[in-house]
Formats: sequence, structure tokens, C-alpha cells
Amino acid sequence: MDRETKLAAKRDERRKIVLELLSLPPILKGLIVLAIAGLTFPVTGVYLFRLNLLPLRFMLMHGAILGGALALAFQINPFWTTIAINLLLVIFMAKTSRSMNADAGQISTFFMVISISLAFIFIYKFNVPAKDTLTLLWGSLFTLSWAEVCGIGFFALVLTGFQFYFRRQLRALFFDREIAFTAGINESSLYYSVILLTAITVALAMKLIGALLLDAILLLPPIIASFQAKSLKGMILGSALWGGAFAIGGFLLSIAIDIPASSSIAALASLAFLIIYLIRKK
Amino acid sequence: MEHSLIVRLNDQVIFTSDQHWLYPLFELEDYLDQNKLIVQDLFLTDKIAGRAAACLIVRLGIKKCHIGLLSERAIPVFKGHNINFTYDTLVEHIQCRTEDLITDKMSIDDSWLFLRKRAGRVQGLSVRMEKITVRIDEKLVLGQLDLELGRGEQMVIHGANGVGKTTLLRVILGLIPISEGMIKVGDYLVGSQLWKQNRNVLGYVHQETVKNNFPISSGEVVQIGLGSLNVSKSETEYRVEVAMRRTGSFHLVNQPYLTLSGGEKQRVSLARCLCQNARVFLLDEPTTFLDQRGRDDLLLLLHELSRNEAPTMIMVSHEQKWIEKLNWPRKEMKGGKLC
Repeated sequence: MDRETKLAAKRDERRKIVLELLSLPPILKGLIVLAIAGLTFPVTGVYLFRLNLLPLRFMLMHGAILGGALALAFQINPFWTTIAINLLLVIFMAKTSRSMNADAGQISTFFMVISISLAFIFIYKFNVPAKDTLTLLWGSLFTLSWAEVCGIGFFALVLTGFQFYFRRQLRALFFDREIAFTAGINESSLYYSVILLTAITVALAMKLIGALLLDAILLLPPIIASFQAKSLKGMILGSALWGGAFAIGGFLLSIAIDIPASSSIAALASLAFLIIYLIRKK
Repeated sequence: MEHSLIVRLNDQVIFTSDQHWLYPLFELEDYLDQNKLIVQDLFLTDKIAGRAAACLIVRLGIKKCHIGLLSERAIPVFKGHNINFTYDTLVEHIQCRTEDLITDKMSIDDSWLFLRKRAGRVQGLSVRMEKITVRIDEKLVLGQLDLELGRGEQMVIHGANGVGKTTLLRVILGLIPISEGMIKVGDYLVGSQLWKQNRNVLGYVHQETVKNNFPISSGEVVQIGLGSLNVSKSETEYRVEVAMRRTGSFHLVNQPYLTLSGGEKQRVSLARCLCQNARVFLLDEPTTFLDQRGRDDLLLLLHELSRNEAPTMIMVSHEQKWIEKLNWPRKEMKGGKLC
């Protein structure tokens, strides 16, 4: 057998393995969910950038770790617990920031620190195994139930609907909050809706690809899209396309070369970012 | 004569009005705007005309008229503009406060604008601030400040940096809460539920600084003026086009806002306020970052706005020379008060 024939046989074998793996329900669910998340979640990345909410993202990531730790400690569903904790954090943050008239960034930093400290207290006191704790950091894509898949699909629909229905108001909010206010837009409600949706997105993304790598799906696609975008519409569509490409491409790559899906998504996104950045610089 | 005002074209009555004061002439103005007629061919018959009515008749472009009771003060206006007029009775003066307010120094256009404001036929809303006190971080910024502007009036507020000029605008906008006092814009009490539903009557043009690199076209910036209104795509495009043409910025509709010059940005911002149908414009140092040409352009644009849509306009500026050219009434802010 010559070298080329050997390579072709190897390729065929690999293709067969990938197809076989995709026929397994957990893998198929993972692909469906990642495709949905990749195409829709980067929208919140655009929100995070436009409203300068990066400290909030840290708070939500740590909130999701607290949710995960609580779920592991009390052996309850981590998926819904992380969402609940993040929603609670957003409500606390909004209330505190309004009542104290304080900067949202400072308040979210406080909640970030308190969340992670509580998370480690729960992990320590309830003897949560270290390996389980690590799933919070790299996600647990293949343990999703169909109810969770449907939950993610429903949320993706809500997020897309929100973006489409409020596109003009969101554009005003991102352009200038004061101008949006004077144009009669209820910018305060819109702002908190954006934060709420971001909170859920971060919690879901944590479950899918983990705390350490969620930026690959949340932030890198909008950054790459912003290189070319001339309007919010362009930025949203570009983010969705890049996000979808990273999620699906990264997932298939992970099966093909047998590495964790979150890592391959992050690696693919980072590589794409680097190449596009270098091309732009030239 | 049965009607207050009758207008004939070739002996055929085409317009009548039974309104009082100067309203029949304003109604006629609307009628002529809607119907393309050769105004010089019209013959106008009015029950009473003083100097104010004469100014309006001249501005309408009417060349022939008959007045029942004519004030002597109207005659120089008619004669000065070659109006062919007749009358039944001539009196020295008619009993009307408006008659005294129109001075010889006022041009026909100035008189028309003044009368429009007096008749409430301007887009602007009145602004009334009573004993406004604002404290920021316990520091008194505005203390017992009073300000009153009629519909369609303009005012420049000047003063040194940091005296609270911008704060004053932001207080009117409801962006900064007041410790004491009351602000009314038209019938809306700032901060009330009714105001919250109608706060788009206030258009805000702030200092043009490069605040962020948000990718947005000029047309999209103007669209922001539509706020939460549910309008169709074609209606949106129409309203954006009208507003941008009005400020001479329609050619920029697809240009990224970030790439515009300071003057162009101001035009687009004013178009945004027009698209918003704002009735009070609040302008915060609009000449900052404008070159000489941009300043001259803005001056012209503001003059045009005050003549046509006539929104109430409050401007904060510290550029003495430019303010003098603008020739709006001025107040200086000192120690948290206007003087």
C-alpha cells in the first residue's frame, strides 16, 4: 500500500468514527446546542462591549462558579442553579447600584469577590471532589439533558427575538445612553434587560464550554466582527457567523482529533483572531 | 360683511374665516401653503387691520386688499411694499396690545416670527423653572434658580467653566434630580409620569466629542430620534430624509458617523432632534470642536430653525464672539444663578 492510499484509508476511518460519534445522543445534543449557542450567544458579547460591561462578565462568571459549587455541594441540578444564582446576582447588583447610586463596575467587582469566596467555602465545607469542581471551569457539554437542550434553544429564541424587536432602541442605547433617554427610550429597562440576558448567557456558556473558555464564544466573535462592521446590524450578524463557525468547527475538530470541545473551540477562535488581526495589520 | 376675512380669486370667494385677532390670516397662510395659487391675483377683504395684520398680509404676498377698519399705523407698511389697499374707516390706533408690540425697527420677517410665537403657532414649548436648587455631592451647584422662556423663544446661557451651565441643561432633561423647585416644559412637569411618556419633546445636542467607536451611520443616528415609535420602514426612511434635508445633511446619510467633521456631526444631531419632533432644543457648547466654517454653518442653521420650526432653544456657550453674532437674548450664570 503506498503512502497516499494509507492516508486516504486513515481519513475514511476518521470520518467513520466522527459519524459514529455523532449518532450518539450526547454528542448530537452537544453539537446542536453548540451550534445554537455559537450562532446566538455572541450577541451578548456585543452588548458587553458596547455598554462596557466587562467587569459584569467577571461577576457573572464567578456567580456561575458559585452556582456550580452550590449544586455540587447540595447535589442539585447545576444547570438551573447557575442560572438562578446569576439572575439573583444581577438583581442584587441592580438594586444596590440604584439605591447607593454607585458605579455598576464597582458593585459587580464586589459581588465577583464575594461569589468566588462563597464558592470555595462550599467546595471546602461540603468536600466537593476536585475533579467535579474542574467541570465548572471547562464545562460539561455532553451531560446535557433534553430539557436543558430545549431550555437553551428557547433562550436562544428569546435572545434573537429581543435583539430583533428592540434593534433600534438598542442601537440608541449603544450610541449614547443620554441621547437614548432624551429620545423617549426607556433606556434603564433596556439596560437591565440586556444585563439579565447576559447573565443567563454567561451561565449557559459556562455549562457548555466552561468559565475559562467562554470568552471564545462570547467575546472573540464580536471583536473579529467589529474589525469590518459598519453598523450594529453588521456587527451582530458578523458575530453570529463567527460564533457559529467557531462552535461547529471547534466541535467537529474536537471529535476528529480527540481533544475537549471547549479547548478546540477556544483554540480555533484564537487562531482565527490572530490570523485576521495580522492580515488587518498588513 | 359676514366673515372676518374673505379672499377672492377673479371675484370668486375661495377662502373665508370667522376667527378673531390675527388667526384668520394664519389660517390663510396654511390654506395658501396647501394650495398652489398665484397669491398676487388674490383680493383680500379684512374687517380690521392694524400694523400687525398689515405685516402678515405683506408676508403672505397679497397685493390687493380692502380693510373695513384700518389703523393709520398699517399704512406705512402697505405703502412700503406697494400694496394696493382701500378702506371704509381710518382710525389713529386700534385697541390691541399686539399693535404696540410691533415696532418700526422690526422687519416683515421679524414681525411675522414674533406674531407666530404670540399666536402659539410655533413648534416650541414654554420652559419654566422655579427656584431650582441642585446639589451634587453636597455641593450647591444651582441655588434657587429661576428661568422662563415663552414658546419658540431662544436664549444663550454663558459663564465661566464649571459654574453649572451644563448641569442646568441636564436638570431640564431630567438627567440630574433637583433638590428643590419645579420645572415645567409646556404642560409637562419634569419628573412626572406624563413627562416620562413625553420626554422626547426635549432634543439634546451635547458637546461633540469622540465618545466611542460604535459603528453607526449618520442616517441611523437620525433614526434614534424616532425613539420607541413603531413606524414602518418606509415612514422611517421618509422622516429621516426630511430631517436630514432640513439641516443639509442628507448627503451624509450612509456615511459612518465617526468619520464626519464636527460641523457635519452637529447637522446630523440637529436632524436627529427634528426627526424626534423635539419642541425644545437644548444645545450644550455646540461650537466646541468646530472650525470657523462649521461655526458659520451652525449659525445659519440655527437662524433658519428659529424662523421655520421655531422650537424653543436654550444654548450653553462660552464663545462670546459667536454668541454676539447669534444675537439671541443672553443670561450669565454666576454663583448658581442666572443674571
